Amino acid sequence: MKVDYLSPGKIEGAALTLLAEYQRKFPSATLLPVPVDDIVDCHLELDFGFANLIGELGVPDVLGALWMNERKVQIDQSLDPTNFPAQEGRYHFTVAHECGHWILHRRYFLDKAAQPSLFGGEAEPSIVCRSSQKKKPVEWQADTFASYLLMPKEQVFAVWQEKHGSLEPYYAAEEIAGLTARWSVADGSIPTVRVAKEMAQIFKVSGQAMQIRLNSLGLIQTSNEQSILV
Amino acid sequence: MPPKKPQNEKFGHKIKELREAKKKTDPAFSLRGFAKAVGVSPTFLSQVENNESTPPSAENIIKMAELLGCDADELLALAGRFDPALQQIITQKPRAMADLLRTAHEVGATEEQLQRVMEQLRRKENKD
Repeated sequence: MKVDYLSPGKIEGAALTLLAEYQRKFPSATLLPVPVDDIVDCHLELDFGFANLIGELGVPDVLGALWMNERKVQIDQSLDPTNFPAQEGRYHFTVAHECGHWILHRRYFLDKAAQPSLFGGEAEPSIVCRSSQKKKPVEWQADTFASYLLMPKEQVFAVWQEKHGSLEPYYAAEEIAGLTARWSVADGSIPTVRVAKEMAQIFKVSGQAMQIRLNSLGLIQTSNEQSILV
Repeated sequence: MPPKKPQNEKFGHKIKELREAKKKTDPAFSLRGFAKAVGVSPTFLSQVENNESTPPSAENIIKMAELLGCDADELLALAGRFDPALQQIITQKPRAMADLLRTAHEVGATEEQLQRVMEQLRRKENKD
């Protein structure tokens, strides 16, 4: 699927606008961690649920799916954070990712008639998100949106300041080198450092997602890591 | 996607309808929030609402009714379940209670007639 280019600034603006709208609608709601499933369910009022997507769609590594015309989001039941607490970070990111598709990409689908199933059953999903998917622009945009939504810049800086007493960055090269040597990390992947894991607990995201965000904000400095989000 | 199995369809629809009305003004009624308050997993609640699973236990249905502010007996009936307290009541006076229910059924007692019987019983209890 081809989509128009969106700058990171524009995607961040869309994520922060959504957060502000949610806060206006539910002023007493807590925003740390960002209640992304409540945003999708109660604010956007999408039909949000869990299903055995792997079985139903026949896709082995599916995480979530979105039916634009039906306003429906389904997350694979293997990510249910109540049944599988270790998956909570991945669950939040997947919901935020689907939310990103809804906010950024629904205009590409809503004008068109729903595509019915070949067998007369339910319509096929508009978007199926898989863990092994190569990051096409449409998926990169949804990932970027998810990162900005779950880890807003101001909140990340505020938590960092509170934990460390300043906004000085953490120089992680030494810790990364030590972890890489100890755990024989695969080529090209970067182990998650302790400060990122600690912050991830607060934002309820994976350590890896937190580290990428901290790196993009200049709070973690590594010598060999490439920033994904600017 | 394969066709879904119907399982007490009306119960699932009713819960979803009631919860969706509440969630518009209170995020505690999100799928995850409501599931947590009831004591079930969001996956199970999602399956129940989408008619892909049997309804929850009577105790959980009573809890749902309390949270949603609706009649527990109505929800239990839609789910094809009974209030466990009723079973206990019948067990305490098995013959009399069973006779009462059978008689009411045999004579085709209307809801109004049953209401009058209950009012009479309550008046008698107040006098005693």
